[in-house]
Amino acid sequence: MIKFAWIIPLFPLVAFLLLMIGRRKLSEGAAASIGVAGVLASLSLSVAVFLERLQSPSNYVATFDWLRIDQVMVTMGIEVDALGTLMLLVVSLVSFLVFVYARGYMRGDQRFSTFYAYLSLFAFAMLSLVLSPNLLQIYLFWELVGVGSFLLIGFWTFKPEAKAAAKKAFVVTRIGDVAFFVAILLTFWKVGSLELSQVFAAVESGQLAPEIVTTIAILIFIGAVGKSGQFPLHTWLPDAMEGPTPVSALIHAATMVAAGVYLVARTYPLFLASPIAMDVVAYVGVFTAIFAATIALVQNDIKRVLAYSTVSQLGYMMFALGSAGYVAGIFHLTTHAFFKALLFLAAGAVIVSCQRQQDIRQMGGLWAKNRTVGSLFLIGALAIAGVPPLSGFFSKDAILLAAYQDGRYIVFLVGVLAAFLTAFYVFRLFFLIFGGSYRGKEPVVSVPKVMVWPMIILAVFAVATGFVNFPTDAFANWLVEGNGIVAQTASTPWWLPVGMTILSIIGIAMAWILYGKRSVAVSSFGEPGPLPYRLLARKYYVDEIYDRVFVRSLKGLGLILQAFDRFIIEGLVKGIAGIISWLGRIGSRLQNGQAQSYVLVSLIGLILLVVSFTAGRLLK
Amino acid sequence: METNWLDYDWSVMLPEATIAAAVLLLLVIDMLMKKEQDRRFIGLLSLFAVLAAGVAVAFGFGKEQTLILDGSYLVDDFSLVFKLLILGGTTLILLSALSQEKSKEIDYKGEFYYLLLAATLGGMVMVSSADLITLFVGLEILSIASYILVGMRKKRLESVEAAWKYVVMGSVATAFILYGMSFLYGLTGSTNLDVVAERIFEVTRGGYDSFVYLSLLLMLVGFTFKAASAPFHMWAPDVYQGAPTPVTTFLAVVSKTAAIAFILRILRNAYLPGLWSMGEWQDVVSKILIAIAVASMIIGNVVALRQTNTKRLLAYSSIAHAGYLLVPLALFASIPQFIVGNDVFFGSIVYYLLAYMLMTTGAFAVLTIIERDRQDTDIRAFAGLYRRSPWLAIAMSIFLISLAGIPITAGFFGKFYILLNAIIVRNLWVAGIMMVTTVISYYYYFGIIRQMFFRPPTESKKISIPLGLAIVIVIGVIGTIGLGIMPKWVIEFVEGLSWY
Repeated sequence: MIKFAWIIPLFPLVAFLLLMIGRRKLSEGAAASIGVAGVLASLSLSVAVFLERLQSPSNYVATFDWLRIDQVMVTMGIEVDALGTLMLLVVSLVSFLVFVYARGYMRGDQRFSTFYAYLSLFAFAMLSLVLSPNLLQIYLFWELVGVGSFLLIGFWTFKPEAKAAAKKAFVVTRIGDVAFFVAILLTFWKVGSLELSQVFAAVESGQLAPEIVTTIAILIFIGAVGKSGQFPLHTWLPDAMEGPTPVSALIHAATMVAAGVYLVARTYPLFLASPIAMDVVAYVGVFTAIFAATIALVQNDIKRVLAYSTVSQLGYMMFALGSAGYVAGIFHLTTHAFFKALLFLAAGAVIVSCQRQQDIRQMGGLWAKNRTVGSLFLIGALAIAGVPPLSGFFSKDAILLAAYQDGRYIVFLVGVLAAFLTAFYVFRLFFLIFGGSYRGKEPVVSVPKVMVWPMIILAVFAVATGFVNFPTDAFANWLVEGNGIVAQTASTPWWLPVGMTILSIIGIAMAWILYGKRSVAVSSFGEPGPLPYRLLARKYYVDEIYDRVFVRSLKGLGLILQAFDRFIIEGLVKGIAGIISWLGRIGSRLQNGQAQSYVLVSLIGLILLVVSFTAGRLLK
Repeated sequence: METNWLDYDWSVMLPEATIAAAVLLLLVIDMLMKKEQDRRFIGLLSLFAVLAAGVAVAFGFGKEQTLILDGSYLVDDFSLVFKLLILGGTTLILLSALSQEKSKEIDYKGEFYYLLLAATLGGMVMVSSADLITLFVGLEILSIASYILVGMRKKRLESVEAAWKYVVMGSVATAFILYGMSFLYGLTGSTNLDVVAERIFEVTRGGYDSFVYLSLLLMLVGFTFKAASAPFHMWAPDVYQGAPTPVTTFLAVVSKTAAIAFILRILRNAYLPGLWSMGEWQDVVSKILIAIAVASMIIGNVVALRQTNTKRLLAYSSIAHAGYLLVPLALFASIPQFIVGNDVFFGSIVYYLLAYMLMTTGAFAVLTIIERDRQDTDIRAFAGLYRRSPWLAIAMSIFLISLAGIPITAGFFGKFYILLNAIIVRNLWVAGIMMVTTVISYYYYFGIIRQMFFRPPTESKKISIPLGLAIVIVIGVIGTIGLGIMPKWVIEFVEGLSWY
């Protein structure tokens, strides 16, 4: 079966093409069926590949020569390793469930078929990404998932916020993409190949100087920072919530944003060879984790809370990787994909039942009205808060343990604090939505069945995934077998899980005291509040600082350059041209000075070339 | 050693002869026709002639190189590849122009077609010449025909102004080239490129090296006019804006291709062998070319940021692309392997020219449709295109993404390939400047995409797309994506040719 892994991404691609061609004629049901059938086929094949990989743990590589550059052969193809197999499974499973869910969520949308077409395009790109054997191919699909994300964020083109968010996502992630691209060029220069296996071999044999390894690793990490919404390139991710909720669940929670984590894990030997790069990953990760968790405390839009939560959880994965916790990071990537997708889908159900209301100040008391969605949301919330025995508990534990064992005590302590905040903000959300009494004006409507059962499946995974690595280390051993990365299998000190559980429960309790029991009056939300609150509510003023420092200074620079162009250059040219025409020919009608100045520029160019050429020879 | 002219293998000139015959035939037909008669079939005939010439060119590959006309006309793989590019570009332009029949833009339709063919003929002569005189004749056939083409819409002031500027600037550029050529002739006593190449070594050794470089610099600066790169770039925005769109496309694509071939030919055949062995090439010529390339990239991309007219914007983009194209040209001889035949650089030049041709003709074809519809070439004319004609908007986005160098397009791969060239010869700062200016270019290309997708349309009428333009756009999209996914086909073909 593993030989046919290359077909996995093609199903959604075919679906994409069919949907694009027939997008005006297809009914909602037909469009959804095509999309769902595509990912279902991918899912079945992914499961088959996964089962086979469990039996025979060896990597499968199949490539064809794409191009020869100088003496170097660049190939395209697939490589199915343990990480890739796992990602295939996670991506196709979450995609399938979200595709089904979107049938209900997007009901009645004017561009229903187009929506499924874009989703299929994204699924194609994401599945191809995780099968890529070399850096160039990763980069190509890396860009393509970005395109999918861009199209879907801006899907509701009638919303100005959505357009702005799509634009922002495009621009901000491009910064990271350019860094990633430079990393690829640097690798090609120093290693002479883009095949990951050869890059790793070069790292191992010491062919690469340490500072080069560090530079490449950090550039790759910057790429990951852009995609995974790490500080300081995180600002696009909360805005991306303007896209439809299934998109937020699939792309901006479970899969694409995790691509950054995946990239770091995929190129992990580069990071392992560079302590500085590991430090950078660990500290950026943990800072993002606590930074985003604090902002999540004060957001009032249900999806924005979850968005900041995603940023924070991705920070967790990053600092796990930075603390040599390869397995822990990937483990959390997997569990997070399930419980965060569940939370988003449940949030989508809440939004539907409140008639597209997203402000949690207008919600409340929904537990009584829709107990199914409430309990599903609760499962997701318990998982992310790290309450045993749900999946989040195990993976978060593994991450903190990795940081602790790596001797990164500050990272560990901040991670613990962020875990506490996580429990607090997610239950603030829960109590404000489901506790107390309903504060909205619109009547609550029911949620379509087709939206409910994907959530139930996700809930099962959110509960159970933790046990793949407990009580045995089966998952860890399987993941690292044959790829040379050492899994940490040291036993957990008893106080860690116990302490973390207690901390989570305290967080939940505090949320209950503040928001559940008292069922806070709506008015108290609107007050400006003390300075810390304002700071958080304005997201540390990062957008404002960006605006002042970068956007305005760039605009300023543009203006200066324009003035330079207009007054200095053109003035110079006009000045000289003026003198010449004043001296020489004043009569002719056709001369407007412009063409003269053009020729003059060419002449000056020639003179500059001659002068610099002569000077260069004299100096030699 | 007088050779009878009948002894030459004239068959290698079949493509040129086809075009020349077509020009004369169409000229006569046009004269005999009544003024009101439909001249569409003249366009179809020219299209047929160009395709026939293309087939003749394609059959020339793989043969021994042939030198005719007293060693002044050379038919080798190098010239054949560039002829294919020139004829391919002309085909796409003719297809776009055929769709414009109904519009009142061009009054003298017959003239338009045979002048376009004449210009194409000039380009073909240029890329095939092995003598300064032939080179110059080819250049002038191309130039004089283009001067008239630019001024075709003679009732429109901007067109007349553009033509006037183009003539004046072009004449100055020609003067530069002639001046450079006369130096070269004076130094070596020959106009034949091979003889020049042999003698340049002695001349340079003999203490006349400054004059050798002066001749090179004068010619280079003159050629930057045709290639629309710095320092002779300033005509481009005005002329691109004023000329009819098919002519603009011709200037941007065919003229530029011929100019790049021209620079390559002069450098490689006349200057390189002599200068390279003395190590002067790497020290001097390469650096001069890099300076020109860098200046073009920076000027083109930075000034494009402030443009609001699509044609002007594409003009600056064309200046920037001339800069990218000059990078492999500047670097191709800076490593020792080139002597044993490192064809990587030619591969990247030809690939980039082909990619540039596809995406630029495509973008101009979309612009033509917009121009017909809105009578406006401002960027705002693209507003809401996605709402009105989604496929057109998607096609335009693909062209723009390719121009900006974002995967998975031919434009991305062309740039990637050139970057790798720069890295292979360890010229990192050129690669750096290319990266930075490319990133700057995202901004203005994205500006058009933003208009198409995010701005509301000013009217909701459906846009009609004429058949010819539709074909051009489809070829452009398929080519842009196809070449991006499988660059191997083109590059291996080009590298498999004999370049020396």
